[in-house]
Amino acid sequence: MLSFLNIVIVGLLLGGIYGLVSMGLNLIFGVIRIVNFSQGELVMLGMYGAYLSWFFLGLDPYLSSIIVVPLLFLLGVVLQRFILQPLQNEPFMQIFATFGLLMFFQNLVLAITGGTGYSVRSAASSAVITMGEINVSLPRLIVLIAVIVVALGLNWFVTHTMPGKAVRAVTQDRRSARLMGINVELAFMLTFGAGAALAGLAGVMLAPIYTLSPQIGGNFILAAFAVVVLGGLGSVWGAFFGGFIIGLVEAFAGYYFDPALKHAIWFLIFIIVLIVRPGGLFGIAGAEEMGLREQD
Amino acid sequence: MNNTLTRRTLMGAAVTASIFAAGAVSAQETFKVGAINPYSGPLALYGNEVTRGYELAADAINENGGVLGKTVEIVKGNATNPQEGISAVEQLATRDNVDVLIGTYLSSVAGAASETALNYNKLYWDTNALASVLTERGLPNFVRSGPYSVSFAQVSVDLILDSLAGKLGKAPSDLKVWIEHEESVYGSSIAEYQKEQLEEAGVQVLGVGAHSYKSIDLTDSVLRAKDAEPDIWLQTGYVPDSNLLLRTAENQRFDPPVKVFVGTGDTNETLEALGEEGVEGLLVVSYPRPDVSEEFGPGSDAYLEAYRAKFDQDPVAPQSMAAFVGMKIMAETVNEAGNADPAAVAEALPKMEKPEGTYETGFGVDFNDNKQNVRAHPTVIQWQGGNQVTVFPEVAAQGSQMLGIGN
Repeated sequence: MLSFLNIVIVGLLLGGIYGLVSMGLNLIFGVIRIVNFSQGELVMLGMYGAYLSWFFLGLDPYLSSIIVVPLLFLLGVVLQRFILQPLQNEPFMQIFATFGLLMFFQNLVLAITGGTGYSVRSAASSAVITMGEINVSLPRLIVLIAVIVVALGLNWFVTHTMPGKAVRAVTQDRRSARLMGINVELAFMLTFGAGAALAGLAGVMLAPIYTLSPQIGGNFILAAFAVVVLGGLGSVWGAFFGGFIIGLVEAFAGYYFDPALKHAIWFLIFIIVLIVRPGGLFGIAGAEEMGLREQD
Repeated sequence: MNNTLTRRTLMGAAVTASIFAAGAVSAQETFKVGAINPYSGPLALYGNEVTRGYELAADAINENGGVLGKTVEIVKGNATNPQEGISAVEQLATRDNVDVLIGTYLSSVAGAASETALNYNKLYWDTNALASVLTERGLPNFVRSGPYSVSFAQVSVDLILDSLAGKLGKAPSDLKVWIEHEESVYGSSIAEYQKEQLEEAGVQVLGVGAHSYKSIDLTDSVLRAKDAEPDIWLQTGYVPDSNLLLRTAENQRFDPPVKVFVGTGDTNETLEALGEEGVEGLLVVSYPRPDVSEEFGPGSDAYLEAYRAKFDQDPVAPQSMAAFVGMKIMAETVNEAGNADPAAVAEALPKMEKPEGTYETGFGVDFNDNKQNVRAHPTVIQWQGGNQVTVFPEVAAQGSQMLGIGN
């Protein structure tokens, strides 16, 4: 029973990591209808941002979010304005462009670091909360809290604020939103910026847990795509609950079956959901087709 | 259109002629060694480190008259995957007209590159690739002077049976080991050999766990090992998974009496990730380091000095010293053979026999029928106060003791 409870906690903490990484990806997909292949690299940039803030300014990685998150927001705005917006009417080209960004960011960091694995340690890195036989790592708990705050915050933003409502209007029908006087391009820029900022936040929160490498984003992104599709394309709560589902499946499969099989098991679930409910568990039916539909 | 074609053809011919001319002149004066390694991509750090060993060896060889009376020159061939390995060999063999090829940090590259080298009848001398299949192929042009995966597995087993069992005050039959490994052929082949050898010696292998080195979470692997309550936790992997395992073990309060890592865990990348306390006491089976005793590896101190003088820093990883020694053995063998033809070199190999403890790494020379040097073994370090200290075998340890294990 104790090990069962322990695995539930391990799964929830892992789900927090997956949810946090998927949140930005899902936001960008939901609003702009772009599958952003470079989202993992934005997470990676966030991690290196935490490392640089620690190295040059001596900032604890968690505090570095006050610098890294706004910088990633700006980067996202610039990428949307100067790379993706000019390709607005060519969805396939936008996907290729994000793939190009993936290669660019990865190789840029590789050229600078020469492939050395860096680590950034926080005062909380080794902290563990022990309750009997159950051990909860503080950095992972912080990630879990972060994903809950982000999901609640994002939900409040899109339901209770005018810019949030504008974003929802754009998501539902770009043409009508434009007719209502909403600046669609501005909404896209802010959304991509917010998606990149969320990736930056994820990077900062994850930096104390992992050894940084230019390819690390790729390790997260495969799972993030599965989370987004499973939970629901374009749904805030889809990414949130999708993360926990994948996290729990992985933890149980790894502990009770075989760690070597855990990915195969959650990919199997992913494929079944894709066949049975293509819009995802929390998504709107038909959402998966929107990216290829004429929008303007 | 015609004009362009003509101009292009002319330019092409001129470039080709100049390359051939340059090749012809330099081939007379120098003995060219094509060094196949990853010089870009995530493993560039290690590819460059291995080639630093060749550069130092070239300096030492040239001081002693070179190879076949010619000055040794290193020509780099970048290969981060097998396909690039093939192209690199083709370029080095045709454009640069190298005399021999040497490498390789990556086993997969070594496999493809050495087969391509055979098409050009070039010797492929390997100093650092680990996959046992490379020599088992029996390729006529492939020689390996350094240790391979079986040597790493064997030293980890020797460490457990000859040293750790005694320190823990247990007979092998009372000793409990959990084997963990990354799931590619590298980790699997080592784990398989360890299991077989340990079980043959009567050791209780409680379980074998496999994981991907790209895993985001390894808590399941750690908890399975923790539940089994082993005396020794034996792991083979790469840097990211080894670091994550150590971190997770720390978080899950999994602190077995002995932790032995094979292949990685002995560089600053692990020290930075875990901190001094986090790595304290960890044993790592790895390439011999320059701190081995002079009795075990004569000249190792001088090697470290030469490295510092040339590169203005300490070695990034221990692979470079094995590369250094490997290239020296290659030069001696080619000199013995009288030319670099693979058949002549293969014939000279049996004459090269030397006892263990001949070279800086403690290697000797004894090539088996597959042209694998069976007198090249890794050593074991222990993290002590943030430093890597060689502790096994005893003769290499300069009197340094393992700390914090048993009594």
